[in-house]
Parts: sequence; C-alpha cells; structure tokens
Amino acid sequence: MRSLYVARPLPATEFSSGHPTQKPIKPASNEWSEVTDSYRKGGVIVADAIAVRNLTKVYGGALKNRVPAVDNISFTVAEGEIFGFIGPNGAGKTTTIKILLGLLFPTSGEAEVLGMPAGDIETKRRISYLPESPYFYEHMTGAEVIEFYCRLFRMGTAERKAKTQELLERVGLAEDGHRTLRQYSKGMLQRIGIAQALINDPDLLFLDEPTSGLDPIAHKDITELISSLGKQGKTVFLSSHQLGDVETVCDRVAIINRGKIVKIGTLDDLLRAGRTVITFAKAGSDLVEQVKPYAERVSADGELVRVYVESEENVHSVLDTARGKATLVSVLPQRQTLEDLFVEIVREVRK
Amino acid sequence: MIIWSIAKTTVGDALRKKVLQIFLVVAIGLIIISLSFSQTLSFSSRAGSSTDIMLVKSFGLGLMAVAAWLISLVMGVSLIPQEIERRTIYTILAKPVKRYEFIVGKYLGAVLTLAINVAIMGVVFIAVCVFKAMGAEQPVTPEETGLPLVGMQQVGLFDWNMVWGVIMIFLQFTVLTSVVLLFSVFLTPTVNFFMGLGVYIVGVMAPLTETLSSKESQLHPVLKVFYRVIHIIVPNFDKFNVTNTLLHPETHIESMAKYTGIVTLYALFYSLLLMLLAVIIFRKKEV
Repeated sequence: MRSLYVARPLPATEFSSGHPTQKPIKPASNEWSEVTDSYRKGGVIVADAIAVRNLTKVYGGALKNRVPAVDNISFTVAEGEIFGFIGPNGAGKTTTIKILLGLLFPTSGEAEVLGMPAGDIETKRRISYLPESPYFYEHMTGAEVIEFYCRLFRMGTAERKAKTQELLERVGLAEDGHRTLRQYSKGMLQRIGIAQALINDPDLLFLDEPTSGLDPIAHKDITELISSLGKQGKTVFLSSHQLGDVETVCDRVAIINRGKIVKIGTLDDLLRAGRTVITFAKAGSDLVEQVKPYAERVSADGELVRVYVESEENVHSVLDTARGKATLVSVLPQRQTLEDLFVEIVREVRK
Repeated sequence: MIIWSIAKTTVGDALRKKVLQIFLVVAIGLIIISLSFSQTLSFSSRAGSSTDIMLVKSFGLGLMAVAAWLISLVMGVSLIPQEIERRTIYTILAKPVKRYEFIVGKYLGAVLTLAINVAIMGVVFIAVCVFKAMGAEQPVTPEETGLPLVGMQQVGLFDWNMVWGVIMIFLQFTVLTSVVLLFSVFLTPTVNFFMGLGVYIVGVMAPLTETLSSKESQLHPVLKVFYRVIHIIVPNFDKFNVTNTLLHPETHIESMAKYTGIVTLYALFYSLLLMLLAVIIFRKKEV
C-alpha cells in the first residue's frame, strides 16, 4: 500500500493562498485504503481533497420505509483531480454532495473536505458549489447577484466591484450584467451560477449537473471551463448525467446506484473492456486450433482470422503461437464508452 | 456585513412579492377612501365632524393592523421554505456563512419589510387624518369648561396618538413575524400560516387566558395550569392593542411614550427569544 502522507509539490498559486497546512487524512482500515488509494494523478501521490469513509445517510420517515439514500460508501478524491460522480436519478449523488457541504448530516460514517470535517466554516472559504438548476433572486441584476455572493466572503467595495466585473467577463456576461435575472435564459443563469462558484478562487468545486438543459454553445463553454479548472490544479467534484462530458473531462469516475458505489476508478481502467482482438491474415487451419486454448472465441472471415482474448498473458501466448504461421494485421484492445458501462452496471444491479 | 446583505436581499425580494404589494395597495386605497366617510355612516350619537375624524382614525388603525397582520404572516411563512425551494440557501450556506447569520439576516429583512409597509401606510393614514381634521370642529364638553355646553372648537390637526398607534401595529406584528419565522424553520408554509394564525388569536385573547388561570377561576386546577402555561408562553398581543385608548380622550394612559417603551421592550424580548430558538433549531436543520 502506498502512503497517503506524501504530498505532491504544490503549484505557486497554492503557496500564495495562505491556507493552513492541512491535516493528512489517516486511513481507517486496510480495506478503506485499498478502495481509496487506487489512483494518484500522474503517478504522483497527492493529498486528498475529499475523503469519505463508510458514509451512510438514511432520511427520516416511517420506520419500515427507511431506505438509505447513501449506503456505507467510501472513496477519496485527490487534490487536482476532476472526479466524476455518476448514477441514475435518486442514486444518492446530491445527498453525498450535500453531506460534503455540511447541508445534510450523515447518519453514520465520516466525510472530510480538504482535511477538515464536512461543513467546517473555514473550509468553506476554499470550496464552492453549483447546485443543479440554480435559482437566484430574480429581482436582482447579474452584477448584483455576484456582488451579493462577494459580500458573503466579506469583500470590500472595491474588491467586490473588480471581482464582479472579472467574473462576468469570464463567464461571458459582461454585456448583460445590468439586466435582471428574470430576463436571463437558462444558459445565462447557469453562467451566473458558475460565476458565483468562482468568486473565492476555490481549491475544490462541487458541480451538480452543470450542463443540464444547456444549448450546445453554453454546454461546450462550461465543459471547457471545467477542463481549464483542472489544468489550474483545482479539484472538481462533478455530478452529471451527461456521460459524454464526464468521459471528456474527468480523470476518475465513481458510479453510484441505490446509494452504493458500484464502480470506481480511472476512465482507462473502467472502460477497458478486458478484451483484445488479434487479427491475422493468411492463417492456416492448424493455427486456429492452436490458439483456441488461449482465446475466448476465434472467428474466420475470408482470409482474416480474429482471435478474441481476455487476458494480457493470453495475448502474448497467441502472438507467440502465431509467430511465423500467419501475418499479424492488428492487436486492438477493445474499449467501452462510459454510457455502455453505466447502462450495463445499472441494469445488472436492477436485475 | 453578511447579516445585513442577507437582510437587504430579503427586503428586495419581499417588496417585489405581488401578494404583499396587493395588501399594501388595497390598504392604502381604503385608507384614502375613508376620507369620504362621514357621520352618516357613524353610529355615534354625537354630532359634529370630530366623529367623522374618529371614524377615519378607527377605520385606518384597524385596516393597517389587518394589512400588517396579513403581510407578516404571508411573508413570514415562506421566509425559509422559499429559500430551500429555490435552492438559494444551498449556494449561501456553501459559502462561509454561519447558520445564525442566515436566520438573523432573514428575520431582520422581514422586520424591515414590515417596517417599510407599515411606515408607508402610516404616512398615508396620518396625512388622511390631518386632511380630515382641516377646518373640523368639535363640541366643547362641560368637563373641559366647567360650564354647560357652550359651543364648538377647532380640532387639532396633528394627533400624536396616531403615531403611537402606528408604532404599536409595527411592534405587534414584529412579534408575530418572529413567531412565524420560528415555525418556518420546521413547518411547511400552509401549516405555518394556520399555526401563526392560532398563536395570534390565542395571544389576542390573553386577558381571557389570564382570567381563566387566575385564583378566582372556578376551573379545575389542571386546566388552570394549562391556561397559565398558555398565557406565559404565547406572546400577549393584546398589550399592543391600544386603538380604543388612543381614540377615546376620556380614557387616558398616563404616558403613551412610557407605555410604548415598555411594550417595545416586551416585543424585543419575545422577538429575541423566538429568534434564539429558531437559531438553535436551524443549527441542526438539514436543508
């Protein structure tokens, strides 16, 4: 097991932010460590931005109907990582985010954000949140809304004005800052939501369905923004149904269903179908028989022979066997889309 | 700064609520219409235009009380649930905002909204009273002169009692606002509306609960204790009801300013207590 206590070299911006050194998160058990320590960005071990241990949330109500919204989940998100959190409706995504923000309280288990217990008021200076389909005070103009949120960070007048202007420009609303939100389209409201989430130049952003219901231009702008945040070393916790977006921008993904994490890992790990297709030409009939013990399936198509192999070891065995007996055309590892994997997992669980 | 920002936003939001605007406009309209009220509508046996003025004052104070009652209830019940429904509370509490700052900000905003509404109605009401008093006369009573009725005298244009009356209305519904704010932390708006209404009715009937729980009461001791508890817990809204005293010169309060001071302290005490309870409950409230 790799240690969690080795920090990556921080970029200059993080040194200048003046944040106190974070307490490293100690793994609670071996099992926990195995689940959570499976990924470290670029092979470098970094501190955890989010650590969730055996988290359970059961909502109140009639005793017999008490189904856990989140059921004993554990995971970590490394600093600087763009982490996708996906699942069907009612899977427990928003509940998890709300617990991490301190808006809900866990029934059991622990949740830590930037090394502090979830909901810590000082940590909130370093994080931000964009809820799904956010609504703001409609009577206010775009600029007034951003100024209002700036005040919540106790910014002075000059700083507030400058920050508002900067953010409106950043999200492409500089020309519309004087209009009331009542006159804004859904895409513009989402941009205001993004702007309010960037006020404090956060180290960690929670984005809940940031691209839902947006037109293609706004959609593209926001996915590009998320990617750029990742490049700046920000940690992004992205909950989304837009699996294409998650596949494009995320380093690592967790799939949650009925309150349980059913799959977690890097996209490469998750989407590798675990199968390689080796294609030969000019293969003799004896070769087909010779490779069969290593193959899941062998199919002949005219001159071409396709060998479907499950493990890497068997790939080598097939290649060794075929050496000098056929012409190698291609060796292609098969890859699923995130959508295929998601549908497959959710259906399996439903069965 | 945070509390003030939340309060200002709450005021801006509330003042744009159509339903509250309707209450305000209707109340102002009716106060202005009351200018045309005359003794012909009055059941007073006393002749003279001073009875017209009394009618306008009585009607105006009553109408303002109803409007302020509706405004505080309708605004108060949605204070917190609306923030949850709109999800604005999530973005606010995800920022370094303490939960008590949010609650105090919302309450302050609601009280300011009430103050603005009552002030607007109050200014119109007092202007209407002044206008009605122009050139009006009242009979000089034998008590004042020591002689049999000798004639008429000019009615004073500005009646300070009406200012105290407006202040009392504001204080009364400040307390009701804090009651519904407390309920809005854990009740739905509809339930809260009826709970707020219930508390107000019981509070207005404070003299009755006091009598029922007194030593002289013939009730069963358990019931007496029950009424005593109700009397202590529920704010005494009757304390603020001084309309009759203000309208009838023959019933004097020694010092209206002193009485207003005491009632202000009473309102402040109840408001702070209820807000403290709201803060304590909201600390552990899941949103």
